[in-house]
Amino acid sequence: MNQDATRYFYQPVLIFLGAVSLVLTAYVTWLTLNDLSLMKPQAQKFVGLDNYWRLLTDARGLGALWRTALFTIAVTTIEILLGLAIVLYLDREFKGRRLVRALLLVPIIMTPVVVGLTWRFMFDPSTGMVNYVLSLLGQDRPMDWLGNPAIALFAVMIADIWQWTPFVALLTLAALEALPTDPLDAARVDGAKEWQVTFYVLLPMLKRALLIVALIRAIDSVKAFDLFYIMTRGGPALSTETLNLYGYIAAFTNFDVSYAMTIALVLTVVTNIALLAVYGVMFPARNEARA
Amino acid sequence: MDRRHFLTLTTALAATGVIGQPLTARAAQPYAGQRVSVLLEGHPTSDAIQKLLPEFKELTGIDVELEIIPEQDITAKMLLEFSSKSGRYDIVQNNIIYIKGFADAGYIVPLDDLLKANPDHYDKADFVPGYIDTAMSDGKLYGLPVYGESTFLMYRKDLFEQHGIAVPKSFDDIEAAAKTISEKTNKEIAGITMRGQQGIQGVYVWAAYLWGMGGSFLDEAGKSALGTPEAAKALEAFARVLRDYGPVGVANFGWEENRLLFQQGKAAMTLDATVNGAYNEDPAASTIVGKVGYVPVPMQADKPKGGSSSLAVHCMFVSADSQVKDAAAVFASWATAKAQQIKSVKSDPNSGVTSLGAMADEEFVKRYGAFKDAMLQAIGQGNPQYLPTVPQANEIINNTGIAVSKALAGTATAAEALKEADAANQAALSK
Repeated sequence: MNQDATRYFYQPVLIFLGAVSLVLTAYVTWLTLNDLSLMKPQAQKFVGLDNYWRLLTDARGLGALWRTALFTIAVTTIEILLGLAIVLYLDREFKGRRLVRALLLVPIIMTPVVVGLTWRFMFDPSTGMVNYVLSLLGQDRPMDWLGNPAIALFAVMIADIWQWTPFVALLTLAALEALPTDPLDAARVDGAKEWQVTFYVLLPMLKRALLIVALIRAIDSVKAFDLFYIMTRGGPALSTETLNLYGYIAAFTNFDVSYAMTIALVLTVVTNIALLAVYGVMFPARNEARA
Repeated sequence: MDRRHFLTLTTALAATGVIGQPLTARAAQPYAGQRVSVLLEGHPTSDAIQKLLPEFKELTGIDVELEIIPEQDITAKMLLEFSSKSGRYDIVQNNIIYIKGFADAGYIVPLDDLLKANPDHYDKADFVPGYIDTAMSDGKLYGLPVYGESTFLMYRKDLFEQHGIAVPKSFDDIEAAAKTISEKTNKEIAGITMRGQQGIQGVYVWAAYLWGMGGSFLDEAGKSALGTPEAAKALEAFARVLRDYGPVGVANFGWEENRLLFQQGKAAMTLDATVNGAYNEDPAASTIVGKVGYVPVPMQADKPKGGSSSLAVHCMFVSADSQVKDAAAVFASWATAKAQQIKSVKSDPNSGVTSLGAMADEEFVKRYGAFKDAMLQAIGQGNPQYLPTVPQANEIINNTGIAVSKALAGTATAAEALKEADAANQAALSK
C-alpha cells in the first residue's frame, strides 16, 4: 500500500470533480429520456428512447453531424499543415522575429465574436475587403461568400483557420525549441540534405507535439459555435448548421430542452469515441510500455 | 425620554399635524426602498429609459437594476430564469408573439389589477390602440407597449422618376420595377434588397409576400397552412425577385446589411421595418435623405386571410415570480408613459413610440415627418397575426426560415421547401 501523503491533496479534488460530472451526466441522461419543453414546464413526461430514435431519423440532425465532422477534419488538417509550415519557416534567425511571434498571438487573443464580425464584413460581397482584393486580381464577378450554400461553410472555415493556425504554430514552435539539436547535426554530418533532415529526423521528433495539438484543435472544432452563430446562423439553406448549432436552436429557438440535450449528449459520446480511437492509434507504443 | 413622555409628545405632534406631513410624503412613495430588476432589449428606447432612471428614483424611491441585452438572446435568457422560478427579473421585455405562450405557462401575470392599484402613470387611452390591444391574452392585459413598428415599402423617388416607373401597387409591380432598374443601370443598382438570412430575418420580410398573396402560416383550425399553392407562389415571387434583381449576398442579409445597402443608395427599393425610415432620413448616416418614398406593403389577393403589413410590438411584462409586483407595475407604467416617451424621442433615435401624445409631439413630427403618415397607415392596417402567436411560434419561424433560405439559395423549389416546413410545423403544433 502506498501511503504517500500527496493523495490527501489530490483525492478530494478528484472526488469532487468526479461527483459533479457524474451527477450532471446522470441528470442530462435523465432529461434525454423525457419530453420537456421550456414553454410547457408542467408537461414533462417520460418517453424512453424516443429522442434518440428521433435524432437517428432526423435528416437535419444527421446533416449537421456530417458538417461537424467535415468542418473538424478539414480545419484541423489545414491548421496543422499551415502551422507546421510557418514554424519551419520561423525556426531561423531573421530580423523582426520577435515581432512576428507577437503578431501570431493577435488572432488567438481576439474573442471569436469579434473574429466572426470582422470576417463577416471582410466577406461582404459588395463592400468587403476579400472581394476587393479579388477584383484587383481580375475577378470581376463578386463572390457571394456567405450567401451561397455551396461555399458558405468554407468561408467559415477560412475564418477559423485564420484564427487558430497561429495557435498550432506557437505550440509547435515551443516543442521545436525544446528539441535537442544533436540528431539534426548528426544527420547533416552524415551527409543528409536539408529536406531529408526535416522529413526523416525533425518531423518524427515533432510527431508527439503535433498530435497533441491536433487533438486539442479537433476537440475545439467540434465545439465551434461563435463563428457560425455570428457569421451565418446556420444558413443559407442549412449549409452551415453544425450539430452544436442545431442543439442550440433546439434548446433556445424551439425550447425543446430534452431533444437539445440528446443532441449534445450524442455529440459528446461520438466525439469521445472518435477521439479515444484516434488517441489509441496515435500512441500505441506508450500504451504497450505501460502495460 | 421615557415611554409616557414619548406617547404624549407623539399624540401632540399628530394632533398638530407635524408628523402627518412625512406620512403623506411617504404615501406618495409607497414602494420606496424596493428594488426592481429589469431586463430590456438593446434598442434606442432602452437607452432612453436608462438615462431617465435617476428621475424615477427621485419620484418613487424605487431602485431599478437595469440590464440590457441583444434582442436575439433575450428570450432564451428569460426562459431560463422563468423555468427555474428564480424571480431574477421583475420586469422583462419581449415581442407580443410570446404573450400567449408565457401567459399559458404561468410565467407572466395580468396587469389589470396591478395598474388599478397603481394608476399614477398609466393612461390606456394614450397608447396607440393597435398596440395596446395586441398586448392582451384571454381578455387580460399582460404587457405595456414600449415600442412598436410595422413594415412598408421604401423606394427611391429620384430613380423611379428618372426611369419613368410608377409607384408599385402589387408584388408584380415591384418585380417589374426591380427589373427595369436593374437592367437600365446595368446591375449597378440592385432593383430591390430585402433580408434573406435564414431564420427570423428572412421570414419577417417574406411574411409580407405570404399574407399579401393570400397565404397564411396557420389555417382557421390552427393547423399549418404553408403547403398551400398561395404560399408556394408567394415564396417563388420573393425568391425570384431577389435572385434576379437583388444584390449579391442577399441570402445572408440581416436587417443591418439590408439597411446599409439601401442607405448607401445601392438599391432602388426595400421592404422592411418602419424604423428604417429614421435611418434613411438621418443625414449623418444616409446618402439618400429626402429621396425616399414610403408606401404600404402591397396586397395582391382576391381573398386575403390577413394584412401584409406587420405589427411588431415589444412590451414590458411583469414576472410571476417577482416579489415586488406593485413596484414593477409602477416602473413599467412610468417608463411607457407619454412624458417619458416624449423625452425619449429627443434623446435617442426612437421612431417607434407607442404613445399617441408623443407621436403628435412637435419633435417627433420634425424628425420623422417624411414617413410619419405612411408609418401610421401601416400600423393602422398592421396584422397582429403577421407572425404566428401560438406557443410554438419560434419553432414555426425557424422551420419556415429554412424553407425561405432554401428557395432563395435555389437548393429546393419553393413548393418542395414549403412542404418540408409545413410537415415540421404541423409536427410542432401537434406536440
